[in-house]
Amino acid sequence: MAQQLAMVIDAAKCIDCKGCVAACKVANNVPEGQFRNWIKHAEYRAVPGISDNGVRFQPGACMHCENPTCVAACPTGATYKDFDTGEVVIDASLCIGCGNCIPACPYHARYRNEVTRKADKCNYCPERRAAGLQPACVDTCPTKARVFGDINDPTSAAGALFLKNKERLTRVTAKTNTLPNMYYLGDPGPGDWGGEAVVPASMVAMQESAPFIKGIVALSGLGVLAMLGRQLFAGSGSDHKEDTDA
Amino acid sequence: MSRRDFFRASGLVAAGAVGGPALLGGLTKARAASPAKPAWDSRFSACDMCFNKCGLIARVEDGVITKLDPNPKFLKSRGMLCARGNAGLAQVYDPDRLKHPLLRKGARGEGKWQRIPWDEALDMAAQKMAEVREKYTPCGHLFTAGSDLQSQFVGRFAEVYGSFNVTSHESLCLVSGSRAFLDTFGEVPFADVLNSKYILMVGANRFEALVTPDSIDLMTTIRENGCKLVTLDPRYTKTAALSHEWYPVRPGTDMAFMLALAHVIINEKLFDPQWIADKTFGIEQLTAHVQRYTPGFAAEQCGIPAEDIARIARELAAAAPSSMVYPGRRTSDYEDSTQIRRSFAIVNGLLGNWDRPGGLLAARQVGLKGVPYDAPWYDENREDRIDAGKVPMMFEHEGSFVVTRDSVLNDDPYPIRGWFIYKTNPMGTAPNRKKTIEMMNKMDFVTVVDIAMSDTAWMADLVLPSQSYLERKDPCSGLQGSVACACVVKRDPVIDPLYESRPLFDIMKDIAGRMELGEFFDFTLDEYREKQTREIPEALGVMDRDGVYYNPSKVYGIYDGRIYKTLSKKVELYNQRYEQMGLDPLPEYTPPAGPAKNQFRMVIGRNAMITQSSTANNALLHQFLPTNTLWLNPEAAGRLGIKDGDLVEVTSPVGRQELKAEVTDRIRPDTVFMLSGYNTLSTMQHLSHNNGASINELLDDDFDAITGNASMHTTFVTVTRKVA
Repeated sequence: MAQQLAMVIDAAKCIDCKGCVAACKVANNVPEGQFRNWIKHAEYRAVPGISDNGVRFQPGACMHCENPTCVAACPTGATYKDFDTGEVVIDASLCIGCGNCIPACPYHARYRNEVTRKADKCNYCPERRAAGLQPACVDTCPTKARVFGDINDPTSAAGALFLKNKERLTRVTAKTNTLPNMYYLGDPGPGDWGGEAVVPASMVAMQESAPFIKGIVALSGLGVLAMLGRQLFAGSGSDHKEDTDA
Repeated sequence: MSRRDFFRASGLVAAGAVGGPALLGGLTKARAASPAKPAWDSRFSACDMCFNKCGLIARVEDGVITKLDPNPKFLKSRGMLCARGNAGLAQVYDPDRLKHPLLRKGARGEGKWQRIPWDEALDMAAQKMAEVREKYTPCGHLFTAGSDLQSQFVGRFAEVYGSFNVTSHESLCLVSGSRAFLDTFGEVPFADVLNSKYILMVGANRFEALVTPDSIDLMTTIRENGCKLVTLDPRYTKTAALSHEWYPVRPGTDMAFMLALAHVIINEKLFDPQWIADKTFGIEQLTAHVQRYTPGFAAEQCGIPAEDIARIARELAAAAPSSMVYPGRRTSDYEDSTQIRRSFAIVNGLLGNWDRPGGLLAARQVGLKGVPYDAPWYDENREDRIDAGKVPMMFEHEGSFVVTRDSVLNDDPYPIRGWFIYKTNPMGTAPNRKKTIEMMNKMDFVTVVDIAMSDTAWMADLVLPSQSYLERKDPCSGLQGSVACACVVKRDPVIDPLYESRPLFDIMKDIAGRMELGEFFDFTLDEYREKQTREIPEALGVMDRDGVYYNPSKVYGIYDGRIYKTLSKKVELYNQRYEQMGLDPLPEYTPPAGPAKNQFRMVIGRNAMITQSSTANNALLHQFLPTNTLWLNPEAAGRLGIKDGDLVEVTSPVGRQELKAEVTDRIRPDTVFMLSGYNTLSTMQHLSHNNGASINELLDDDFDAITGNASMHTTFVTVTRKVA
């Protein structure tokens, strides 16, 4: 089975200390006033006496959805779902900063990075993972409310938690249900889980257009690539292996 | 083929057309998949964004710190780093940092400075200190240091210089609580939160005022171990919100609640009679004493129903000895703080939780040793501290800041004209800021060593830039981590020091050398560390490997077969020494004054994102808390015609400030609250200057009658809408 990277969050353990938000900002150079992740809470009322214990702080970020509406909204393919890992990825080299994906995320997980002028969001800290570390928010969390990993792997912390608590897990959804890969243990409490995905009409049309348009695009692309490849790399060795998927 | 692939192909076309393989290489590198392993170095250190000293690993690339991560092997902090810890970078690379020695040119507090070379600065500091000693005796110089691994060198310097006048931050924080527990158990305990079954949290806010490992263990124990958490607080804090029960206790009535708990536990015989007989002193006196403090009496005082008080007493007793009244830390609240905290300690005594799982623990063996020295004798010196004899049970090594300040202002009993301050900011932490300014104005010469132009530095004559915790080498330090660990940490520089900053140790050594006191600083920090670890020689190597050394010392039953360090050699429910000194041997409840009509009691407190005045100017944390607000209950706000976000004027007997109102039901109608650290005078803290309100400007400077601990909850203020 392919990987599905996800967060399993025990909202009942979150104390709203903002450690995860601070760690994320430093780890990812998130510009001043912008955020890749958050801790939300519903308005809670101060009621003296025995508590119904309904107060929950809700840590969140990009949910790396099964049906990511942001992917459909991206005109260049910079945002895509990596089916090997389950991540929703932004390829910065392809992002033109058009901003279509921002309202397309019903969870408001995306923003236009003020410095790079490109779309930005949680990417589960790939540099850290390559170094054997947890994403910054998970690593730093005082109460370890955030748990990250491959939920298809029962030996990972997230997988074990996911399998053990399958019945108790809440997959919160915005009005547009994108099947997010962020799971809350037990009841995460009431909250603003987001609205409707707004995908530009042109992009919807393109998404649903007749397959032959896609075919033409693909064919022309392939043709161009084939020619280019022959021109540039004939006999130049294997250092361009990554690009053979084109 | 998807759009993505199409555009990737187009990109290739463009690359191919323009520049060929070189550009193509750039494109390949920029792909999002499988990034290369980062080229950072990982270096151990210990956090210094508050006093907890959590273990961290600094990731350093090309001599620049890019990220601070928790050290997973650091059990005291449970492998975490909070928002403040993460913001350590913003402190090190703060553009507002002090960069070189500065000498005041204009009037005090006017903000005119001249850059001078280090040699000139050190010569001047030494010369001025010598002059003060000459003119006013060694005790004519005051030394103040915050909680820091190098602070001990300020104490050492003061002693060899000859001054008894050393104050710390503690008398603005917790000494009354320490006094109360020390005088009950013979030492100041650590709470075994993780193994407790029932915790009563009063006068503490553990989920916002983070203390390691207690804050973290509290969450673990209530969510995983079935521990019950009951919180009393005039504010609905995050701790209150996550508790099983919360009561908005009337400020200043905690003692009535505690004595009523004792009343129920004693009268219903809910204690372990064997334990009480063997281990405690004064149950008879206590029994007689608490008869008048019925739950009904307490209910009238606290505003908490009598049946709830009685039930909580029974539940606490049923869970004993694995239950506790959490000791708390910041105990600088009322003029009878020590007695209030004594009532907390007495309930713990009745629960029999001392030195047992889930209760209060004695300090564990860490293994570090002190480095003794013989201070010189000065014939001309005074007999005692300037604040001596003004309160009966002050801690000699902490002093009382507010009492010292009054004594300085009145030259009572002798003048103090020099002041050396390291890594603490009394201008931003002590109540009644105007008085601190007056105290500054009394001085011939004030030297401040800090990394930023705090308000205290702003009022000084000479400001010396020190190194941050990530740039310097520190001595070893022993830390208590409750049941988690007793450990030793050290700090080594993770980057080269910035600007002209120097560590305090070097500064003290250099000044001492210029004053013929060099022999007392005739060592390196490595030699000092070796002396500290002489009984645990393996520790230094282990710290290099893991960032921390653990001493495998006993956790529970430390007092089995040992006598308690009290007069009766038992847990003193009834304190015999207090009786001898004419103090109440059992806490006597005095109802607190209530606010007059249209007045409010002002309370202080913390947030997980600030450490008082040291973080209000931190660029990262500023994004979470751009300013402070005045918490005001909707009922009171409605009466005063104040809406959420309105600018309000807050007036106390000592000062006046303006800030925005936050109308919220998370505070009692008779109480207001604001965070500390804002509205600095120093314009060289550009985020906190002229931003929000200074609580220090408003708070009156009453103090605890037993220890001289400042009492921060005795100020009443009026609030009016500011008409634009």
